[in-house]
Amino acid sequence: MKLSLSRRTLLSGAIAGTVLLGLPACSSAVGQQGSGEVEKGGTFTGGISTDLVPANFFTNSNAGVTTVIGLTYESLVSYPVDRLEPKPKLAESWTVSPDGRTVTLRLRDDVKFHTGRPFTSQDVAFSLRTYADPKWNGQLKSTAQAIESIGTDQPHTAVLKLKHPLGNLFDLLEIVPIVDEKTFSGVGDGSRYVGTGPFKFEKWTPNARLRFVKNPDYWVPERPYLDAVDISVVTDATALTNRLRSGQIDYAYGIGYHDIERLEKTGRFGKIQLAGAENQIYVGTNVTAEGLSDVRVRKAIAHALDRDRIIAEVFRGSGYPADLPWPKTSPAYDAKLNTTYRRDLAKAKALLADYGKKVPTLTYSYASPVPQYEATAQIVQANLKEIGIEVKLEPLDPPTFVAQLIGGKFKGLWTTYHSWAQYTPSTLTVSAYPFNALKNTSHYSSPAYTKNAEAAWKQTKGDSAEAKQAYAALSRDLLDGLFLIEIGIVEQRWAVSDKVKGVGYTKRSELVLTDARLTG
Amino acid sequence: MTSYLLRRLPSLAVVLAVSSVLIFGLLRLVPGDPAVTLAGANATPDAVAAIRHELGLDRPVAGQYLHWLAGLVTLDLGRSHIVGGGIGSLVGSALGYTLLLTASALLLAVVAALVLGTLWAGTRRPWVDHLLTGANTLAIAVPTFVLGVALALLFGVVFPVLPTGGVPREGLLADPGITAQYLLLPTICLALPVGGVLTRYLAESLRTELAQPYVVTALAAGISRRRVLVRHALRNVLPTSLTVLGLQTGAVLGGAVLIEFTFSWPGIGMLIERAITGRDYPVVQVLLMLSVTIFVVLQLLTDAAHALLDPRIRLGGTR
Repeated sequence: MKLSLSRRTLLSGAIAGTVLLGLPACSSAVGQQGSGEVEKGGTFTGGISTDLVPANFFTNSNAGVTTVIGLTYESLVSYPVDRLEPKPKLAESWTVSPDGRTVTLRLRDDVKFHTGRPFTSQDVAFSLRTYADPKWNGQLKSTAQAIESIGTDQPHTAVLKLKHPLGNLFDLLEIVPIVDEKTFSGVGDGSRYVGTGPFKFEKWTPNARLRFVKNPDYWVPERPYLDAVDISVVTDATALTNRLRSGQIDYAYGIGYHDIERLEKTGRFGKIQLAGAENQIYVGTNVTAEGLSDVRVRKAIAHALDRDRIIAEVFRGSGYPADLPWPKTSPAYDAKLNTTYRRDLAKAKALLADYGKKVPTLTYSYASPVPQYEATAQIVQANLKEIGIEVKLEPLDPPTFVAQLIGGKFKGLWTTYHSWAQYTPSTLTVSAYPFNALKNTSHYSSPAYTKNAEAAWKQTKGDSAEAKQAYAALSRDLLDGLFLIEIGIVEQRWAVSDKVKGVGYTKRSELVLTDARLTG
Repeated sequence: MTSYLLRRLPSLAVVLAVSSVLIFGLLRLVPGDPAVTLAGANATPDAVAAIRHELGLDRPVAGQYLHWLAGLVTLDLGRSHIVGGGIGSLVGSALGYTLLLTASALLLAVVAALVLGTLWAGTRRPWVDHLLTGANTLAIAVPTFVLGVALALLFGVVFPVLPTGGVPREGLLADPGITAQYLLLPTICLALPVGGVLTRYLAESLRTELAQPYVVTALAAGISRRRVLVRHALRNVLPTSLTVLGLQTGAVLGGAVLIEFTFSWPGIGMLIERAITGRDYPVVQVLLMLSVTIFVVLQLLTDAAHALLDPRIRLGGTR
């Protein structure tokens, strides 16, 4: 007994000793993490669920890209998140000629790139031309391609000559980050990001982290407050939540709606709801499929959808039901038109009775595993069963889903998000493929829709009475044609700890930390 | 042994060549390609065509294969389409993380198996036996994805003494003490099931060995039980245990994928998961080729180590 005990003591002592070896002797990894306790300076730590994809630099499509652009780059003008009113940024002021085809931008003369090189009109020309290159897949490349020439005779004046008036030119100027031509090759492989923004890009470690340090020569005086920004890539949503709860990070982009609710209940965390940077969730239809080719069937589906339930249950109330893509912040928003297809099972059944034939079982595709799509698809399936339409769910892995979406290969219905309705309304119809008037996933075409989309694009004053009429015509086309059945407008949520203040965002969900501070 | 290894080389080359064709061909049969992944849900078909051209995916498949093969032979691994950057540095960095994690997990598993396996076989106290049986069953039965989340919650959130995941901010080499703390939870998680299997195997073999007549003789001659166990029996069961260790190394590498995901450890598992989901052809190809090579080499090494440990084994009949 004695021998055994002493052996056991020795053993457990040895194991405990090994485990504890590093702990008291050296500094603690837990103590090192977190954002620190100072008002000015300090390192802001955050986590994102999707890593940077360098080839997607101009597409605004994932958290890695929006983090880099939001911290490192600036554009010529900026919109407040709730209005489409251009405010000066790198361009101090601008004039538009009466025919709408010449735009003169006066640029700030006190701005330098992170390499120390002064910012000039040449950089404006390079950035806009690069954005127009199809290989970068910029969402507004058709707008950028409609710029005929860019005059750069004077270093601080850029003169844009347009092929025709453009209703969404300022959207383009708001979206395109001004890049440095000399180091641009580094953007393609993720090695160098040189902009004019408040933070300098330091290093990207794929699948692990992004690091930024303060730009001491930033043109806005006394900004930014922070010394450095450290963003970890945490692809697993549970792991991301745990990081936030353990205090390792103070900001998280990619936590589910339910988890954010639970975090809020602890009292130590809050949410930032990205109003003004909305996404839309919708049910798409292939209008060449049997049954769906009749608009009465599509209208019956629209009347059967329980939009309130989807917004409340799947998105925990972070948004509102909609029949049209336009969010409340859009000049095209019309509360009356937006409730055209209220849930009304009797009406839906009447429409189907009018159609007369039996609707065949519809295949319903969505990307998997994405919890929001799965939950939405199940609710829609139940809704359609109520009016006697059978639906077969078809989960697809994301690349297959996108390949079918772009190729127009869906057999019946599908669900995903679309975006770009938070900008000038014409931006949606000329840029988002599901809405493209000439060629779209639904195989829908209508001369009236094509004409009205083109007319809306050429409105020079995006919020004039004439423009609003053009948008209303477009909205009615969308409601009558009903090739995409909107479910609702969704606002994403970020989770933040109570240790950080002043975290901002843009209409493209980019992280803005110019005014951010750490508090104890 | 050198000539044995040399004679194995041609068959190794054939295995690698066949797998390169299979890997390249099968990947292209999967629906969706990197251009589509990059284009995203709002893109137009001409944007996809432009990206496909940019990536060289519009060239004939045979030409693409030969180009890739030529690159492999000259050790130019190419560039990643989706993850971004040179594949050499991507794989190199990820491999470093994975090797560190698997090596520490194997070390922990081997040490645990040697100590606990010997104790388990040697004990004559029922409660020690029951305790070890229970712990061993749990270690093997609890899936790593459950254990990972449980450990992260317990030691990261409830008792915040260790990081819940990630890697040191200043890099692995900046402060070994900090690195060890980041490494501890994923290592335990990865080592536990493997350690369990090894412990059980070792204990079982030891018990068989202890029933041998020479043990009875030795005990009768007055040699202490502990000495017989450690000096004689353990020595005899080590070679066969090594084969089990070789097999379990494969399991550790496989298990690392899940552990890396749970603890956001940027190793090969994370890289391959992202590359497959994004249809990042060049990265997946290189990683699959790498795993084929590693398994083939591991098998060779196990054979060689066997010969070193057990004097009765002669590889390929040579002396």
